[in-house]
Amino acid sequence: MKRPPQAIQILGSVLFAAVIVAVAIVVVTAHFGPTSSAELEAREERLEQRMELREEALERREELEEERRR
Amino acid sequence: MEQLIEDLTRGNVTEVKVVLATVILALAVYQVLLAAVAYGWLRLPFLGSHSASWTHRASGDAILILTVVVAVMCISFYGFEEGGAHAVVACVLLGLLATKVLAVRFGGRLGRLLPIVGASVLLAFAITWLTSAGDFLGVSG
Repeated sequence: MKRPPQAIQILGSVLFAAVIVAVAIVVVTAHFGPTSSAELEAREERLEQRMELREEALERREELEEERRR
Repeated sequence: MEQLIEDLTRGNVTEVKVVLATVILALAVYQVLLAAVAYGWLRLPFLGSHSASWTHRASGDAILILTVVVAVMCISFYGFEEGGAHAVVACVLLGLLATKVLAVRFGGRLGRLLPIVGASVLLAFAITWLTSAGDFLGVSG
């Protein structure tokens, strides 16, 4: 088998290095899951909103119960 | 410096360090393959020794820069005190890297030792990764 020109060999080996880098980044970041500060902050915000909604629902129930008793 | 690193990584210092360390280790393994082709120990039909040697140097330069970045992040953010075995192996690694750069630049007797120094650098990279990133990712048990 005849070898490709040197420039192609170099380009191919450098591209392969780039693929290795990309695969390493993808595998490790996939292992982390959502740990970035932005995602964690968004998650916290969603949790706070849910808690607020629950508290509001509880307050409404209590108010309704009080009205029924009257 | 600590604040700059935290700002640049948006508070994900450890995660960024783990990603960079893994990229370095993956490239270091590729370096060994390229060195084997460059020395003629491994013959590939699509890659000659001169091309392998060129890519080995280019990739090596990238590894060196990334290693310095990770080392600066590690020392300025975490310091030496809590490093333990990781800090010791990392210092050995930096020494080996400096020796390899000197051997490449000035040749001579050191040039003959390049394969041994290169293999030692890979081993040091692997141990350094296992004692920090590997530990963080749960690879080293």
